[in-house]
Amino acid sequence: MLLERVDNPGKLRFDVPYQMAMILTKINRFVKEGKIAIVARRCDEKAIAELVKRDLLDGSRLELIGLACSAEQVEACRCTDPCPSRVDIGQPSEPVKDDQNFAGMLDMSLEDRLDFWINQFRKCNKCFGCTLNCPVCFCDECLLEEKTFAPDKGIPPGLTFHLIRTVHLADKCVECGECERSCPVDIPLLSLRKMVNRDMKKMFNYVSGDPERMSPLLTTLEGDPMEDDPNVC
Amino acid sequence: MSVKHTLTTCPYCGTGCNFFLQVVDGRVVDVVPCKTDETSRGGLCIKGYNAHAFVNHPDRLLHPMVREANQLTKATWDDALRRISSELNRIASEHGKDSIMILASAKCTNEENYLFQKLARAAIGTNNVDHCARLCHASTVAGLLQSFGSGAMTNTIPEFEDADCVLVTGSNTLEAHPLIGARILQAGDKGAKILVVDPRDTPLSRVATLTLRQESGTDVAWINGMINVIISEGMLDKEFIDTRTTGFEELKEIVKKYTPEKVEEITGIPKEDLVAAAKIYASGERAMIAYAMGITQHSNGTDLVRTLANLAMVTGNVGKESTGVNPLRGQCNVQGACDAGALPNLYPGYQSVEDAETKTMFEKAWGTKLSDKKGMTLTAAFNKALTGDVKAMLIFGENPMMSDPDIGHVEEAISKLEFMAVVDIFPTETAKLADVVLPAACYAEKDGTFTATDRAIRAVRKAVDPPGDARADWKIACDLGKMLGGAGFEFDTPGQVMAEMSAVAPIYGGIDYERIEKEMVRWPCPSKDHPGTKVLHADSFKIGRGVFAPIRHTPPAEETSEEFPFILTTGRNLFHFHTGTMTRRSAKLQREAAGPYVEINEKDARDLGIADDSSVKVSSRRGSITLSARVTPWIRPGTIFIPFHYAEAAANRLTNNALDPVAQIPEFKVCAANVQKG
Repeated sequence: MLLERVDNPGKLRFDVPYQMAMILTKINRFVKEGKIAIVARRCDEKAIAELVKRDLLDGSRLELIGLACSAEQVEACRCTDPCPSRVDIGQPSEPVKDDQNFAGMLDMSLEDRLDFWINQFRKCNKCFGCTLNCPVCFCDECLLEEKTFAPDKGIPPGLTFHLIRTVHLADKCVECGECERSCPVDIPLLSLRKMVNRDMKKMFNYVSGDPERMSPLLTTLEGDPMEDDPNVC
Repeated sequence: MSVKHTLTTCPYCGTGCNFFLQVVDGRVVDVVPCKTDETSRGGLCIKGYNAHAFVNHPDRLLHPMVREANQLTKATWDDALRRISSELNRIASEHGKDSIMILASAKCTNEENYLFQKLARAAIGTNNVDHCARLCHASTVAGLLQSFGSGAMTNTIPEFEDADCVLVTGSNTLEAHPLIGARILQAGDKGAKILVVDPRDTPLSRVATLTLRQESGTDVAWINGMINVIISEGMLDKEFIDTRTTGFEELKEIVKKYTPEKVEEITGIPKEDLVAAAKIYASGERAMIAYAMGITQHSNGTDLVRTLANLAMVTGNVGKESTGVNPLRGQCNVQGACDAGALPNLYPGYQSVEDAETKTMFEKAWGTKLSDKKGMTLTAAFNKALTGDVKAMLIFGENPMMSDPDIGHVEEAISKLEFMAVVDIFPTETAKLADVVLPAACYAEKDGTFTATDRAIRAVRKAVDPPGDARADWKIACDLGKMLGGAGFEFDTPGQVMAEMSAVAPIYGGIDYERIEKEMVRWPCPSKDHPGTKVLHADSFKIGRGVFAPIRHTPPAEETSEEFPFILTTGRNLFHFHTGTMTRRSAKLQREAAGPYVEINEKDARDLGIADDSSVKVSSRRGSITLSARVTPWIRPGTIFIPFHYAEAAANRLTNNALDPVAQIPEFKVCAANVQKG
């Protein structure tokens, strides 16, 4: 919600891909009561589901207004799941069949892939844009701000920085692509996320953004999945 | 409950990124990048993402303070302003108007800087107004004005992306101008060649096509050397030289002596690398030069800037898209402060105070007699305070006790002043010494405009009210102007100030707030129907033909000795900004670079028995500081680097106040130093 009060509805626009869930969590730290209505695309909706499951947002205080992305937006985001569960604004569009960027990555040999990522990460300027704009990046104490894991002596921050984030998002990433779009130096972060999500699907048949199913990575000490208490994470 | 998002311009470097300040119940809580902004395109650097952090800091100045019995004590606005005006009046009548110096601020808006210079010129009656551009790009303004006729970036930020070659020298672009650095990386991704010439390895040089490491203070030599190679390889743009420039024969004569062998001897750059770099630069269809403090902050800074202009003109890389000579300005509004006339020799819009016709025009516009005597520069003012010629200083948002070279000298100069008033948002090292301190509003608390490094005029919008009794600088300047008996200080809004400025400064002629809301306009923009200018000097130079300047290499003002065997160079890191007033009060930035350090080459460290993170003492002929060693392969042996953000070990205790004769910019980039285990 970039507008507090709409004086002129003609000025409202639906083509700016802000991550509403990210803006919502920022506001939520300060706004403790009342209902919040939010225009949500499919990725916003899925991100909100991940946050509600973890008790980071109170779902009963939210009113989702479903926004279907246009075909151009779906194309630009290389989105494979564009249609929200309820559509209030816009016309549903077809998902993209094949993400070429991601497919190209899979074609590389492991050695080439490593080289590719090392070169990409050398461009990193440690702006934290990928975490700050991520709708499901929510830890109060961020490991990336720990000197042990991400040394504080300048840039680029090194491979660990990116790999911590990659693993950390394994059971949360809804593939909104905001990390990639926010990256000032064009590191293709969405492809990296998709790589991990592919493994999550293969290994656990789990897809992030499901409002019902708990992450299979959250287990009890006995190793049983924590299906019975979805609010513990 | 109320939530709003105010679109505004970043208060840090001169890139001019826009973002939304997120405001909940009248309090700035966060920053959200702006996807539709042409400059930042939904990205920001770590400083931008944390630009909200200092706004609510408990150290903010909330009340005016006046020195009573050698103690700064809380006062009313009325008392504090009256104290300033009566002291300035007294000093003007006892010692003359030219004994008063006003320091304007590159952190304030165009409108405010316009008022600061008007305060000096029209209310006090002196041209003694200057600001920290003197410490960063004064040599650019002087040098490019002589070579091209305009002292600003010739091209624009988005153009970096489409260059075939980007030559970056004396600029740690990814740290100091991260979003411009990002554009350069994108050009690289698209196949452009990136050349970096710097005594330090920077994050950009580590991904560059070719990096040359020169010894600090030898830049004329490598640039002349490149021109020499270009001429002897026949890679020059003869048509451009013939039709658009003058003075080529003299240049040719001078650069002849700078053979690759000779250049290697002076600079330490291997001759093969110099030849390769020259060929890469000259073979690009569209080659851009970007530079910053590594070129300007030398005692021959103006000459150096002109040498870079020579290089661009020899290859015809001026006046077209994705070419040119591009000084990267380091503060949110250092370009605008210059444009607005906060310079001792120039009225708003770069019009000379010594030109009788211009003076008459301004006298008419401001309804008062003006001085025809060129004013004092910032660096001269501190020297003149020592000799007793300057008696009072009124400082808006500057911190010379951290930012100026040889702080010991600045401190002594300030102690000699009869009166000093400081307007700031935090109790800075300088404010602590003042007789009157006024609390100002920060960028989030006022309206106005900043002019970015690429001449784009960008809106600054008020998101929240100032804390306590703090006031916007433009209001303070108006109040003081009126109290000092000046006419024409009755402004109710910054928009009215811009209207007056655009009427007297032709390059801003077509600028008004309504337009800025709708489009990004870059000066020169002489009229309302003019679209603004992206590429300068497209058909002809402002002075007709571009002027080649034949320049010889001269050694820096201070050379190493047995006692001081290292060359010390200073600069910024990614996480802090200048004197740290704002960034060191931002928790996340402070976490990334908490304390002062000196970068030293591994080999030098080994020879001196210095371990990484151990304490060392660095001394120069002017002082010494103790800080931690950062042992690294990323700096030339024999050279050390200290960021100047840290008050507890201020690099400027060591730096040399040697000045460029034309621009009077100090040589921050070379001083002789010694390192010991401490």
